[in-house]
Amino acid sequence: MNGAPDRARIEGGERPEPPRYPALTPDEERRRRKRSIAIALALGAMVVLFFVLTIAKLGPQVLNRPL
Amino acid sequence: MTSVTNTLPSGDARIPAASVGGDVPDYFALLKPRVMALVIFTALVGMVVSHGHVQPIVGFISLLMIAIGAGASGCLNMWWDADIDAVMTRTAKRPIPDGRIRPDEALAFGLVLSVGSVLVLGLAANWLAAGLLAFTIVFYAVIYSMWLKRTTAQNIVIGGAAGALPPVIGQAVVTGSVGIESLVLFAIIFIWTPPHFWALALVKAGEYARAGIPMMPNTAGPESTRRQIVAYTLLLAPLGLAPVALGFGGLIYAVVALLGGLAMVAFSIQVLRHREGEAEKRAAMGMFGFSILYLFALFSALLAEQSFGLFRAVIA
Repeated sequence: MNGAPDRARIEGGERPEPPRYPALTPDEERRRRKRSIAIALALGAMVVLFFVLTIAKLGPQVLNRPL
Repeated sequence: MTSVTNTLPSGDARIPAASVGGDVPDYFALLKPRVMALVIFTALVGMVVSHGHVQPIVGFISLLMIAIGAGASGCLNMWWDADIDAVMTRTAKRPIPDGRIRPDEALAFGLVLSVGSVLVLGLAANWLAAGLLAFTIVFYAVIYSMWLKRTTAQNIVIGGAAGALPPVIGQAVVTGSVGIESLVLFAIIFIWTPPHFWALALVKAGEYARAGIPMMPNTAGPESTRRQIVAYTLLLAPLGLAPVALGFGGLIYAVVALLGGLAMVAFSIQVLRHREGEAEKRAAMGMFGFSILYLFALFSALLAEQSFGLFRAVIA
């Protein structure tokens, strides 16, 4: 655990070193990109689902009102 | 009663360490897509045999949530069972034992989908349906996977309730209550489950023994298992005709249920008769394969009768 030395460095005005992650292989980068796209699509689908569900539950007349 | 100690997947040396996340199809595989398809199908039949009406979009979203909830419970099952999946050839290539997805990722994925599917079903349909879906997920992931599967030969008998619940959830979506129609469909799937899985277990007894799962052939022996397969099938065949007696199964269903039930009994007798070698394996796999066809045919007949105006009452 290096929490205490980090705090000491911060208090002394030093910035802690950012964590170093291992470099991704091209295949890992491709998989991560596909996962990101899938998550984005799933979130988009959820937005559409909640909108359609709201309209379906309230009925189409909810859109028919005087401005 | 045999007891098998579980080692959490993440701590099992037989499971290789996964690299940085899996591919999208690996996550889809965690949801057991074939089980999801069966759940959609049986829940849909539960909806159409119910005397009620549901807004089509609400019905579609409800079916989607039931499928996602079932997939989530399958994912949690794979997370918990990764250690035994790794030692069985049938399951060794699943994403976790194959090292394509880390166990903690699968756990998070399963939990998020479980909670999400239950909440959306509650908002879309009603909270009875959502409660039943939550119960199904907990029953499959906790009661069956974590407890029954490794401790008792009655694992798939009791655990079969989880697989039998989708028609009940379907009826709850449409009517807001549980009626006799869906309870009969529940009973058919529940009684169908043991002979279906025990037929497979007869062939895969060695693998189950290696994985330490106390399936019926490993604890009570193959002879007792064969007799129980016949007993359950003798119970199943007349039960399959119950929808006719209750008036929601018509003439087409009656013919399918009668012929299918008789064929199931014939297959089970073949299992009882052939006890050695290749003939034993052929009989068991024949029973396993036909049981899938039988259940599919029963539910398809109900769906066709109710959806395409083919219903002709047998009993006035």
